[in-house]
Amino acid sequence: MTEPEARRPRRAQGALETRVLAALHEAGRPVTAGWVQERLAADLAYTTVMTVLVRLLAKNAVTRRREGRSFVWLPAADEAGLAALKMRKVLDGEQDRRAVLASFITALPEGDERLLRELLDQADDED
Amino acid sequence: MGIFVFLPLVLPLTAWPVARLAEQRLHPRTATVLLTGVATVMALCSTLCLALLMVVGTAQLPGNPLPDGWSDPEVRASVPRHEVAGKAAIPALLAVVATGARALLRHGRVRRRAHAALRGLPSTQVAVLPDAEPYAYALPGGPRERIVVSTAMLDCLASRERRALFAHERAHLAARHHRHLLLVQLAACANPFLRPLRTAVAYTAERWADEEAARAVGSRRAVARAIGTAALVSRAAPAPTLAALAAPGPLPRRVAALLAPAPSGRAWPSVFTTVGLALWTAATGAVLSATCSANSAVTLLLLLQAATPL
Repeated sequence: MTEPEARRPRRAQGALETRVLAALHEAGRPVTAGWVQERLAADLAYTTVMTVLVRLLAKNAVTRRREGRSFVWLPAADEAGLAALKMRKVLDGEQDRRAVLASFITALPEGDERLLRELLDQADDED
Repeated sequence: MGIFVFLPLVLPLTAWPVARLAEQRLHPRTATVLLTGVATVMALCSTLCLALLMVVGTAQLPGNPLPDGWSDPEVRASVPRHEVAGKAAIPALLAVVATGARALLRHGRVRRRAHAALRGLPSTQVAVLPDAEPYAYALPGGPRERIVVSTAMLDCLASRERRALFAHERAHLAARHHRHLLLVQLAACANPFLRPLRTAVAYTAERWADEEAARAVGSRRAVARAIGTAALVSRAAPAPTLAALAAPGPLPRRVAALLAPAPSGRAWPSVFTTVGLALWTAATGAVLSATCSANSAVTLLLLLQAATPL
């Protein structure tokens, strides 16, 4: 089922998820996977759309409910929400991400916390 | 070659005092540029010398690609026989190349994946992501440089502090701090003695961005408060340190530095101060490293030339 998907470059997957999610948003109502497939009007197989939807479901980016014999799909999060989920994965996945991305703040040990509170109190007093 | 080929391997030790002192006594911009430069020069020299040692080492192995004249006793007599060091240099150089390549690949991967995560969003410079964990990152490169901020981070800051946060991240991008961070990271891979410089540059780059933010917002205190507030909100991330014993971490030091008067922009301090002495020691170390490795390289090159029957 996932075979056509597997041959795609990895990059295409994220773009596909975004497009499917955008289609769900445009619908503005719960829609079936078949509707999404027609809407995208690309040469996408029904199974591909289903795969993407299931993947989005696993990421909590969409929800579904049973209606009659099939499922209807609703966006749970918008593009920003999906981007946040992906970004979280990047940040959680790399232990040493601080070596790559300059971070505004880093982890704060307990002793530092007390010191920081004192410094902030001092800053407020001087205002 | 003699001892000269070993010196660049240990000369990074001369940069330790300045790595320790620079963060308090030098302007963060000067400190970042200087420490990155010193670390890069020393890492290159140390790697070159490792490679030279390896050439000498492999000369003793059968099937080496060196010219036959190399095994001439007269030629061999003019190179100190670094038999042990030469053989040890082979795995050491391989380790340097492997860890360096890994660091480079990881750097590329994080940046690529972070840009991919943002692809669906409108291409504004600031991307605000709905997330309960407060974070803010400057993301260089890609189709467009971006600043990634979570809603949790913005929610805990007042409007002036938000401006401070954005100014801080913009300063990271404008000054291309990721290049400094990558260079010192690679230097630390090349020679473990350079690791304190990596820690120091990670800190001074943040301080540099803090100072730029303070200038942009017009208030050092607003930047200090932004850092403090954001840090206290996100303290959920546990740090594995013994709180009672730990020296103040980077965050309180940054806030304290912002509450103190602005650092002077003078580039080179006098040699008669502690930091000046440390700085000149490091600079001398870097120059010495370069001279020694150049000397060794030229010696080996001349030897090889003399040994090649052309």
